[in-house]
Amino acid sequence: MRFLDASTIQVGGEQLDVSWFLLLAAALFVLGAIGVLIRRNPLVMLICVELMLNAVNLTLVAFSRQLNNREGQLFALMTMTVAAAEAVVGLAILVDIFRVRDLEDIDELSELKG
Amino acid sequence: MSVLALAILLLPAAGAIFLGVFNWRGSRLLTALVGPGVVWAAFVCVLVLLGANVTQDFTYWTWIQVGSFNVPFDILIDHLSLFMCLVITGVGGLIVTYAVGYMEHEDDASYARFFCYMDLFVLSMLILVLAGNTVFLIVGWAGVGLSSYLLIGFWYWRRSAVLAARKAFVMNVIGDVGMILGAFVLFVNFHQVTYLTLFPALPHSDGGAVELAAFLLLVGAIAKSAQLPLHTWLPDAMEGPTPVSALIHAATMVTAGVYLVARFHPLYDAATYAHAAVAIIGAVTALFAASIALVQTDIKRVLAYSTMSQIGYMFLAVGIGAYSAGLFHLLSHAFFKALLFMAAGNVIHALHDDQDMRHYGGLWNDMRRTSVTFLAGSLSLAGIIPFVGFFSKENVLGEAFSRGDGLGYGVWFIGFVTAVLTAFYTGRMWWLAFWRPASAERPVKEHLHEAPAVMFIPVALLAVLTTVGGLLQVKALGGWALVDQFLKPVLGEERINTVALEYLATFLTLLLSVLAFGAAYNFWIRGVWSPARWRTRYPRAATVLEHKYYFDELYDWAFVRPLDRLAGATERLGDRSLIDGAVTEVGAVTESGAGTLALTQTGYLRTYVLVFVAGAVIAGALLLWRAQG
Repeated sequence: MRFLDASTIQVGGEQLDVSWFLLLAAALFVLGAIGVLIRRNPLVMLICVELMLNAVNLTLVAFSRQLNNREGQLFALMTMTVAAAEAVVGLAILVDIFRVRDLEDIDELSELKG
Repeated sequence: MSVLALAILLLPAAGAIFLGVFNWRGSRLLTALVGPGVVWAAFVCVLVLLGANVTQDFTYWTWIQVGSFNVPFDILIDHLSLFMCLVITGVGGLIVTYAVGYMEHEDDASYARFFCYMDLFVLSMLILVLAGNTVFLIVGWAGVGLSSYLLIGFWYWRRSAVLAARKAFVMNVIGDVGMILGAFVLFVNFHQVTYLTLFPALPHSDGGAVELAAFLLLVGAIAKSAQLPLHTWLPDAMEGPTPVSALIHAATMVTAGVYLVARFHPLYDAATYAHAAVAIIGAVTALFAASIALVQTDIKRVLAYSTMSQIGYMFLAVGIGAYSAGLFHLLSHAFFKALLFMAAGNVIHALHDDQDMRHYGGLWNDMRRTSVTFLAGSLSLAGIIPFVGFFSKENVLGEAFSRGDGLGYGVWFIGFVTAVLTAFYTGRMWWLAFWRPASAERPVKEHLHEAPAVMFIPVALLAVLTTVGGLLQVKALGGWALVDQFLKPVLGEERINTVALEYLATFLTLLLSVLAFGAAYNFWIRGVWSPARWRTRYPRAATVLEHKYYFDELYDWAFVRPLDRLAGATERLGDRSLIDGAVTEVGAVTESGAGTLALTQTGYLRTYVLVFVAGAVIAGALLLWRAQG
């Protein structure tokens, strides 16, 4: 893959190939996605979404260091802000749902079935 | 003065708008004051104009201006329009006042609605007679048709009333089409719509166009005036409340055709054939309607057929060029027919809406005041001296007789026979309904309530006018002729000179009329020649008369049913299959499509996430593949 060629990042005095970071980010992202897909507990699903977002953050930061361009880091900060806002909204909705009924399984919320 | 002329129109218009818009379900007292009040106010305006002797074409503004087509908004005040205005607002005012009492059982909203329609009708009629050009005339003409439709169908919860209203409207629209085409022909040939510039051009013109225009206007006139063959709506129009019958179907609306011919007299003077057609249609209708009236049993229908017959006389008069004789008969007919309708209305009111004369009787003892007024009206209708009907009818017949040609003698003879028939059926109505002992079937046996003052005073005033009105024009006996003199500035000198033989004819008609009125006594009181015996002797004639010469059946077969079938076919093929089908199909496709798509909405969050992730994976794969390629 062309954009991975001969590119290393200096981490703590050692040169580390950027693909390691990307592989870690991909692994985290897939874990998150699988979590969202198979877990039923709404809180865990929210945490998995956060995991996916942070995986993306990691790629952004890695590329930023590789290309020596600070915009990527700025964008990671931006993503964190959005993630925080999203968590607030998601948790608020969950709290509201818990007030109305005791929810254990997200599949119980299927009233919008067409 | 120009403001006063406009006020004649604005007052009833304001009344109609006030009652229809602002006093809807409002105060009953206010309705009872405003409804007749505006008509009387218009009457006062007419009197002031008459007193000031104004004759002028008041132009207010340019109404329509398209190229050479220039229509001013003008009101023509002359002796003819003032004469008509006097009848409309004077007799109309009495009738609307009478309605204050007659309609008292209506609820508040209907009460206001009734007077709103009445004022609207008076407004339309005034527009019709005051119009100074053909376009404005058509506005009034159509407005009269509309308001009569509203009034006939006033009790719209009765199916028969709605059907009668529809019939009247359709018949009137046939006439309107004739009118409009006639106005087109005049405009195309003379490039004028204003009477005062149009009429001087008529005598010096090509005969064909004039004849055509005169015939087309005649179509409008016969539809509005219920003459043959567009007469079938008038008897059915008796479904409306009695004051409506008095106002529309006796005093004003149905005489619009006579006014039209008189107003367009330069046109009819120039159009020989159309002019003769007016006289012949009038004479035939007079005889035709009188013969049907012989067998009718509903008192209002007898009066309706007598109206047709009397308007036939007016057509006869204007058709032979005796315009002011026709208008005098119009005036006298407005007096005595409004009187007859309103007196009959008092009886119907007292007998709980029963209109069948066979259930009447004994009214001379139980309702003396009303009976006396009805007798005055009956004798006038029968043409018996000294009532106004004698003078006006003999005036018409005298003019026809002294014309001295085939047409004159022909229509005179028909008019003479009709006069005798008229006296006979009027006598029948009088003896049967009022004189004979009370029928066993009478709905109210005793203590009939006489009409209240508000309903009796207009009737009494008309009875007085009917009795002394003949003094206006005693030409039939060789005396003075005030109506002729009044109308002379518009209609010109009466060209027909009286002949000595005419007085003999007059005497003969009077004698036979009196005999016929008396002979009716033998039929229904003494039973000397009982109606049942005549019926068995001439069963076929009786059937034909009772079916009104099968005109309704003929029109039903020739027009109504084929159109009904056409409408049914159009509904099935066009409306239901094509239009409804297309709309239903669009709906069905949308619905089934939506049903299929709704399957994707499982309601489970994981399905959506799965689709989302799968989409992201596919998009990523595509991007990578593109980057590789």
